[in-house]
Amino acid sequence: MVIEDTLFILWLMVAGPLWAAVGLYLLPNLNHNRSEKDQLPVTQLQIAGVIGGFALGPIGVGLFYFEPHLIRRTTIAAGIIVTVFVSSQVLVRVVEPNLPSVLWLVLAGPLWAALAAYFIPRQYRMVEADDQNVLTAAALGGFAIGPLIFGLMWKHTPKISRDWMIILGSLGAWQIYTVFAINNPDNLCVAAPFHVTYLTQQTANGVVIGAIYSLMAVGLTLIYSVQGIVSFAHGQLYMVGGYFSFYFLMFGANFLSDLTGTEVTINPLWGIPVAAVIVFVMGAAFERAFLKPMHDGLIERVSEYAILITFGFGFFIEYTTLAIAGPFPQRTGRFIEIRRFTLQRTQITDDFAFGPINIIGDRVFAMIIGIVLIFALLYFLQRTWTGRGLRATSQDKQAAAVAGINPTNMNTLSFALGSMLAAMSGAALIPIFAWVPWVGAEMVGRSYVIVVLGGLGSVPGALVGGIIVGIVEALGAGCHPDPSKGAAYKEAFALVIFALVLLLKPTGLFGREQH
Amino acid sequence: MKNRSVTLTLILVVAILALMPFSVIRADGHCEFADEAIKIGGLVPLSAPGSVGGGVAMSWAFNRAVDDINADCGVQIGDQNYRLQIVIGDSEGSPERGQAVVERFILEDEVHAVSGVYHSAVGLATMGILDENGVPTVFSEPWNDNVSANGIMEYDGRPPRNADGVDHIFRISPASSMVGSVVVDWLLAEGVEDIVIIAENTDYGQPAAADELARFEAAGATVTQINVELGTEDFVPILSRIQARESAPDVVRILVTGETSFNLTQQMAELGIAPTEDTICVTNQFAFQSEQYWENVPDGNYCTFNRVGIIPSLFSDIAIGLNEAYFEEFEDIIPSFAMASYDALHIIADGMERAGTMSDGAAIVEAIESTDLDLSQGRYYFEYGNHNPDLPEGTPAFMWHQWPDPVVTMMQYFEPGQSSLDAAVIFPEVYQTHGTGYMAPGESP
Repeated sequence: MVIEDTLFILWLMVAGPLWAAVGLYLLPNLNHNRSEKDQLPVTQLQIAGVIGGFALGPIGVGLFYFEPHLIRRTTIAAGIIVTVFVSSQVLVRVVEPNLPSVLWLVLAGPLWAALAAYFIPRQYRMVEADDQNVLTAAALGGFAIGPLIFGLMWKHTPKISRDWMIILGSLGAWQIYTVFAINNPDNLCVAAPFHVTYLTQQTANGVVIGAIYSLMAVGLTLIYSVQGIVSFAHGQLYMVGGYFSFYFLMFGANFLSDLTGTEVTINPLWGIPVAAVIVFVMGAAFERAFLKPMHDGLIERVSEYAILITFGFGFFIEYTTLAIAGPFPQRTGRFIEIRRFTLQRTQITDDFAFGPINIIGDRVFAMIIGIVLIFALLYFLQRTWTGRGLRATSQDKQAAAVAGINPTNMNTLSFALGSMLAAMSGAALIPIFAWVPWVGAEMVGRSYVIVVLGGLGSVPGALVGGIIVGIVEALGAGCHPDPSKGAAYKEAFALVIFALVLLLKPTGLFGREQH
Repeated sequence: MKNRSVTLTLILVVAILALMPFSVIRADGHCEFADEAIKIGGLVPLSAPGSVGGGVAMSWAFNRAVDDINADCGVQIGDQNYRLQIVIGDSEGSPERGQAVVERFILEDEVHAVSGVYHSAVGLATMGILDENGVPTVFSEPWNDNVSANGIMEYDGRPPRNADGVDHIFRISPASSMVGSVVVDWLLAEGVEDIVIIAENTDYGQPAAADELARFEAAGATVTQINVELGTEDFVPILSRIQARESAPDVVRILVTGETSFNLTQQMAELGIAPTEDTICVTNQFAFQSEQYWENVPDGNYCTFNRVGIIPSLFSDIAIGLNEAYFEEFEDIIPSFAMASYDALHIIADGMERAGTMSDGAAIVEAIESTDLDLSQGRYYFEYGNHNPDLPEGTPAFMWHQWPDPVVTMMQYFEPGQSSLDAAVIFPEVYQTHGTGYMAPGESP
């Protein structure tokens, strides 16, 4: 350990929080000499004080204190970025792990998180303040800024907005990154100057695959929000969507080749609507035949029935496909004839270059398809009568029926649409992965994580959840000090996030409270 | 007189016509079978997470072997001909499930012998049960060294199977070390020094990777090993690690099977990691099934792969016939494990015939030890067994009850969409078909 690094860590551990505490104390005083209408929200001032102190020490606190017009969301965000960037740049020069600081980060973070999560919500209830999201914010804050969270939340009991979550979550992530950087100075995700490129590469990998995951998860969440059941056939509907696309492309190309006398290939893009239509009809027929009796009150144990019948449907699809398509992997041609997109290496300074970043061409295309389809679904749900009908049914079936919406039809539509989205996801991925009848198993497990993470029933939640899972998996697999463990635990990283969300915010990131 | 001859002719014709069906039976099924059949348990993976494609190919080969043997009067024991019957059991690639199936084979189906096994983990988990119950077994695909190494000595913490003097387990697939030595010898001959091994986390992948790693390191090469889970679809985050290295490795060696290997090889090629000018791509034997390979790895031109079994240009008549039948069924080249499964049943049937019993395990083992048969993969014999128990110094323990001659070659595609029958055999030199030990991307033989 070189002395500069020790001092820097000390600065981070002591001076950072010290100046943050000074900022936390000083900045709310800005309101003292102002008229009531000019006063800034106390919470905003406190956050500015903490971030300013953490990022730039006395300079940050002074800047915000003497120039309060600078206290904006953008400057606070910039403060977070500066904090993370500066500390990571210096920490990568640490040559030996600093045990005390690591212990502080590892033990003190969870300790303060537990204390804050226990006491602060009680304080909110005691003063009858709005305690929505307080548990999550207190735990995140305890982990990220230790005892300072009591200063922020105890006396003023501020209403917890999404900004709080983002800021505290970012600080918590920074803490973890700091511990990691101290312990693994040579890791690709830490070691300068390449780590910026590498982190960007892995984040891009995660975003691309995460957006693709989202499309499948959206279908699952749609079915849950309207029908209140989890479809255990979702993985198989995803799989069979891929196969419908495959056979359509194969037979279609053969037919056109015979017709024209020249060899014709069909772009896999055309397989997506075909798979969508077929699986939509399959889903609607299944819902009418097997799920409608459940909603009609003909089934006693509804939950168990829904699980068993969708499980059975999934098995039926999988083994029928195995019998027809066989066990050997298959794949369609490419969406685009560009093997990969490459952002070439750019020399920024003498010591620092950015790039290259490589993303597989078909994945980018599939990501775009996924995002377009999710936004189309959002438009459908928000702007069309039928979509509103679905939403109304998901909120209150009886009230929807009073308003002239047929809940039976909405149930059928939701299952058919959800199944269709799974199939479209499969048809979008068969040019990317080797396709076998059991290909849905891994993907569907991830979808359950995504929908719970995003909030059961929330379409935007599924999109954000998918991207978070994608990024976490990519960074976990790419940054773990042991490459083998990183690869083997890839799915486990997302499960850790999943467990934390269940613990801190059981409704998920965008889920609504059940009353 | 004339009428009489006409009448006789008519009687003759009618008699011939009446006897024709019987004569057809005699010609086609020209032997009488005993009521009892000889049952062989075929343990193969037919459900995920096992390698279902491998299991289906092995099942097909078993049925084909049974048909051929029965068409040739089955198994003759004493003066009776016994029909051969295959009982297929699904191991699902799981050791626990494999054990349950083997117990069912023994207790319910009362099989007389067992063959098959694709996954090494299943082989290792079931061999003890089979041996304890005295069931002669010829494994046709597991590669883990210990499958045969445990026959005579304590190996890797496991007690020897033949403590009572008889070991019932034989293997005709190669041991991992036999394959590894060929791959490593070839790569070292090509002058590689910096190797990345990507191995599956199984009883096949890990020992195979350990064996190759030891050989590379003994030769002074640097090896980075990355383990992956079978069934993983997205390898990009892991491959980005390789891409982020300061210098590209000389070779990426893939010790992963099934569709997982296809995904890995294709993503590696798409990202431009291998095959390239700097980096050799060595994928696994699945690449030999060229129809599947090109469909799933369209960017995999110039990848090399290890191949078990005789090279296509040296196929015997049996192998050619088997390959044609396989192609008719699956529209692909026959894999080695299907050929080995076909051969395994012939070895068992031959052993029973020579032993003159279908139920005396020890006698059948003794007969199989002295096998000398030409089948689809070549001439089968077992050099070391109770008939020749003393392994000379330096002979690895896995040579016990191990067919010593599985041909292992390195092959390489050099044209997109090329049939594996036309791919170049590049190593060992004696088998080279295109006069070259390796072609860098863009080169041709």
